[in-house]
Amino acid sequence: MQTIDSTRFGALDIPDDAVIEFPTGLIGLGGTRYTLIARDESAPFLWLHSLDDPSLAVPVTSPWNFFSSFEVEISDGEAERIGVTDPSDAEVLVTVRSGETVEDFRANLRAPILIAGGRGHQVINEARGQSVRAPLFAEVAAAEPHPEAVA
Amino acid sequence: MLIITRRPGERIMLGDDIRIHIMEIVGNSVRVGVEAPKSVPIYREEIWTAVKEENKAAAAAETTTLPRPAARA
Repeated sequence: MQTIDSTRFGALDIPDDAVIEFPTGLIGLGGTRYTLIARDESAPFLWLHSLDDPSLAVPVTSPWNFFSSFEVEISDGEAERIGVTDPSDAEVLVTVRSGETVEDFRANLRAPILIAGGRGHQVINEARGQSVRAPLFAEVAAAEPHPEAVA
Repeated sequence: MLIITRRPGERIMLGDDIRIHIMEIVGNSVRVGVEAPKSVPIYREEIWTAVKEENKAAAAAETTTLPRPAARA
């Protein structure tokens, strides 16, 4: 068990089995140890929180919450590097970038995060049509004219 | 930045574990081979830059900015 002093969430107790090792960190952000935090059981977003930097945390979500046709394919080299041959064996999350309005929210479908066996890797998705900046609420907007934003 | 001129067939070492092969030149393109330990990720730089930017932007979020979509039937 370890405690971190998160700049967003205050003191957090992290059980050892909740620690996720990212051998090569997140692309461009570094860090090697993270954990997933859910602040609200009913919300689809989690925070991938660094255990090495208390101010570093990234909102993530399961891509299928918002993108029914999301697929992930990785090269043989990537599969070998991360030790996962079938992405369906891993938990898949994508980072979410917030914006001024709900319509500005974007998910990175091009570089999903795969978590398996206590290890995480951000990989490059080779499936076609997966944008690095996909509008998060495009399908929701199409189905329901008024998605609500809660501050 | 170190600038080296190589001919096809020649190679560059980065430390002891990474070998860059200049393989062939076809028109405007250079075919480059990279030998590196399995653990070293290799990216086209433009993808790496785009992903780094998205990661940094995502990491800038405050706790209050995440919306909750209206409950679906």
